[in-house]
Amino acid sequence: MSRLEEILSLVKHVPPFPKVAHRVSEMLQDPNVGATELAEVIQYDQVITANVLKICNAAYFGLSRKVASLDEALVVVGNDTLKDIIITSSSARYYKGPVGEGYKLEQGDLWKHSVAAGIMAKELAKHVQEVSPGSAYTAGLLHDIGKRFLSSFVADEFKQIMMKVVKEGCSFVDAEKELLGASHAELGGLILQQWEFPKEIELAVLQHHDPDALDKDPLTAVVALANALVISMGIGVGADGLATSLRGAGLKRFGITPMHLDLCMANLLEEIDRAQELFHL
Amino acid sequence: MKIVVGISDMKVSNKPEDMLITYSLGSCIGVVIWDPVAKVGGLLHYMLPDSSLDKDKAANKPFMFADTGIPRLFKETYKYGAMKNRLIVKVVGGSQIMDNAGVFNIGKRNHAVLRKIFWKNQIMVAKEDVGGSGNRTVSLEIGTGITHLKVSGRGEFEL
Repeated sequence: MSRLEEILSLVKHVPPFPKVAHRVSEMLQDPNVGATELAEVIQYDQVITANVLKICNAAYFGLSRKVASLDEALVVVGNDTLKDIIITSSSARYYKGPVGEGYKLEQGDLWKHSVAAGIMAKELAKHVQEVSPGSAYTAGLLHDIGKRFLSSFVADEFKQIMMKVVKEGCSFVDAEKELLGASHAELGGLILQQWEFPKEIELAVLQHHDPDALDKDPLTAVVALANALVISMGIGVGADGLATSLRGAGLKRFGITPMHLDLCMANLLEEIDRAQELFHL
Repeated sequence: MKIVVGISDMKVSNKPEDMLITYSLGSCIGVVIWDPVAKVGGLLHYMLPDSSLDKDKAANKPFMFADTGIPRLFKETYKYGAMKNRLIVKVVGGSQIMDNAGVFNIGKRNHAVLRKIFWKNQIMVAKEDVGGSGNRTVSLEIGTGITHLKVSGRGEFEL
């Protein structure tokens, strides 16, 4: 089996995304759905239920009071927040343990980077009308899911990858692609397809390192930009460092200036302080 | 004791056993200062060049910006007996992602402001490792002034 085949067959064995997440998302489209019905579905997944409570009490989601039970939580949080909470609690399980070792990431770093990118994407979505904050958050949270599964292959070829990056000035993701046959972004796209996420989220994950991402679908642009800024801030960044390419000229179409970017970075730092509970799911 | 300096943070110490460290400087800049006589050192990790961006944030987190953070770093070491003309100053960070339009040149802007402030205040930089696309971790041993720098792709070495 070639290495690429090996990598691709791994994707087929990626555990399914919690059914609860998609089910809740569907249910929330119906304005008549009540907290009791939601609780029935959510309770089915114990990890998610436990996390929902922890997340509800994180300052980031800004609830006015502490909640002690799932029923209470569901009454207090709004639908959009609930979706974000369910996605966060469903995703956390994939980022546990030494998942980013191949990228020289410490335990917890990949999750921290992902949550930060999710929050940043939501922040940026305020400037981009076509993008809903919920999709931005989800795509930001999952943009690096491919790293989780490519990590051990990156570890095998680490020296060669770094050589290309340092000596040839190649971006890390291009070096991955060249030496392993697939990049973590491509792998992420495949995984989201398998998990049956909406196409625009799959594309945003697939293209988040595309140098022309800012010229593409608005959600793709937002996620690529969020990732670039979070990387610049050094949040959960491994050996790949800032070795990624993004053509900034594409920002013009959104009317986003460098000053907006500075502000988003400053805001993110505050949001992260309030989101501490999310990092320890 | 190992004292971690976060993003938009600053720490100063005069305890010889202390080590100040900041992880993962991307486009942010780390400023390391050390007085070999008073044996006091400080480390600043700022994120953005100019506090005029948001005065409230600057009041809340002065170490977020070069223009509000750098003066505070120096003044804090003076409290422990450091003198400006003795301070050994090292500057690291200021990387950026690859973008020929220069929109993401936060690192470059961060460095430019620092140079302006240093020039105005006649502060010499002893060592510098700035720019490129690696991320950096820098540490300062208070007792000896030894500064270690780790850069992705280039390994760890003394600065």
